[in-house]
Amino acid sequence: MSVRYGVVGWTPAKRWYDAVLLGAIALYLVGYTELAPMLVPESRALDGQSLRIKAFGSAAFLLLTFALAIGPLARLDRRFLPLLYNRRHLGVMTFALALAHALEVLGWHFAFSPTPPLVAALSSEPGLGTWPGTPFVPFGILALLILFALAATSHDFWLNFLTPPVWKALHLGIYLAYAAAVAHQVFGYFLAAANPGFVGVTVASAGLLLGLHLAAGLRGRRAPILGAEWVRAAAAADIPEGGAVVVEVAAGEPVAIFRNEGQLSAVSNLCAHQNGPLGEGRVVDGCITCPWHGFQYRLADGCAPAPYTEKLATYRLRVEGGEVFLDVRACPPGTYQQPVPA
Amino acid sequence: MQTSLAEAIIAAAMGYGAVGLAIGAAFLVFGIGRLDGGAHGAYAFRPLLLPGLALLWPYVVWRWSGGAAPGFAGQRRHRAAHRWAWIGLAVLLPALFLTALSLRTPVGDAPVRIAAP
Repeated sequence: MSVRYGVVGWTPAKRWYDAVLLGAIALYLVGYTELAPMLVPESRALDGQSLRIKAFGSAAFLLLTFALAIGPLARLDRRFLPLLYNRRHLGVMTFALALAHALEVLGWHFAFSPTPPLVAALSSEPGLGTWPGTPFVPFGILALLILFALAATSHDFWLNFLTPPVWKALHLGIYLAYAAAVAHQVFGYFLAAANPGFVGVTVASAGLLLGLHLAAGLRGRRAPILGAEWVRAAAAADIPEGGAVVVEVAAGEPVAIFRNEGQLSAVSNLCAHQNGPLGEGRVVDGCITCPWHGFQYRLADGCAPAPYTEKLATYRLRVEGGEVFLDVRACPPGTYQQPVPA
Repeated sequence: MQTSLAEAIIAAAMGYGAVGLAIGAAFLVFGIGRLDGGAHGAYAFRPLLLPGLALLWPYVVWRWSGGAAPGFAGQRRHRAAHRWAWIGLAVLLPALFLTALSLRTPVGDAPVRIAAP
């Protein structure tokens, strides 16, 4: 299923996604810079550029939090899957907002420095100690650099060129970026914040993320790691129509068991394109559709529809008393398996 | 941080980026089609790659000079990496908040008049 690259693989859904995303960001920025000043006493009023610094910075942090929340949300409730499909646009916008925040800082706090703004920003950092001696700018720079690396490598080309293991390892940097962004705030704004509002938002955001990932992790652990040949994989009622459950097996890769029009089929959870998690995708037009790039496979034999040639390993299933049993021995890719009514 | 060290860091970063831009531009013209069939006849997307090529140019040079692409380690290992990352964050984030609270300037303390030296 080789495709020629484009700037963006637009679909109507992606256009809507981006329109809503841009609209929400614009609304937040306007609200912060135009409405927020009305809520604070005149004695604590900020100039326009300081407001923009805070607006861009907080928007970037909230968007980063949202981007990290989408994964566990989609695992806990499949209605969030459409958010997952276009997450890369969210990441690029997060970088753009963080960059705008950094440029506003350079253009305000270091605008009148005799030394170049970047040099002044780095060399004016205090040593370790209590506020205002606690350095926080390096954490922000680290977060910005990581976000840049992730945004710069978000095009499909990079997944292919870096290869999935390198690309995935690089994009694990999002967690370090999040920790650095939190450190940037707590050692900067927190230490002297008179208004506890944003402190509360930051703590609540981090707590929400940790809670969501814990919940999604605990849910994933319900899928047993199985060792025998025929094993109980799931209750048939737990497999959603048009979706899948993912089963961990003792050897090999996880298996995705899909339900389509009341019949079950099992394939490898690994997309043949870039190893995307097929079990997090949906059945579209009778085909399993990878959540990463939309590669499709027939349910019964794991083959991509013609003219494409990718194939998935398939698995035997049987249903007894409402329980789904899986033969964990993978059949050769493209082997036909009669879907099982359930 | 000393000004001279800050200047050196920024100069090194600028130099790294300049080399990367040159290599990235050459790769977009001469190399990309050899390594990725999806780039044949596709030109509009190439400028989008330049920032990434400038950043990762040592890897670009390595792959362009025939370096093999790494193999896939498996989805389970990747998920385990995510799991460990979140366990790390579950420890690190509360530690950051607690550290900041301990360093925080008390709000509402009465100002203290400092005597002239």
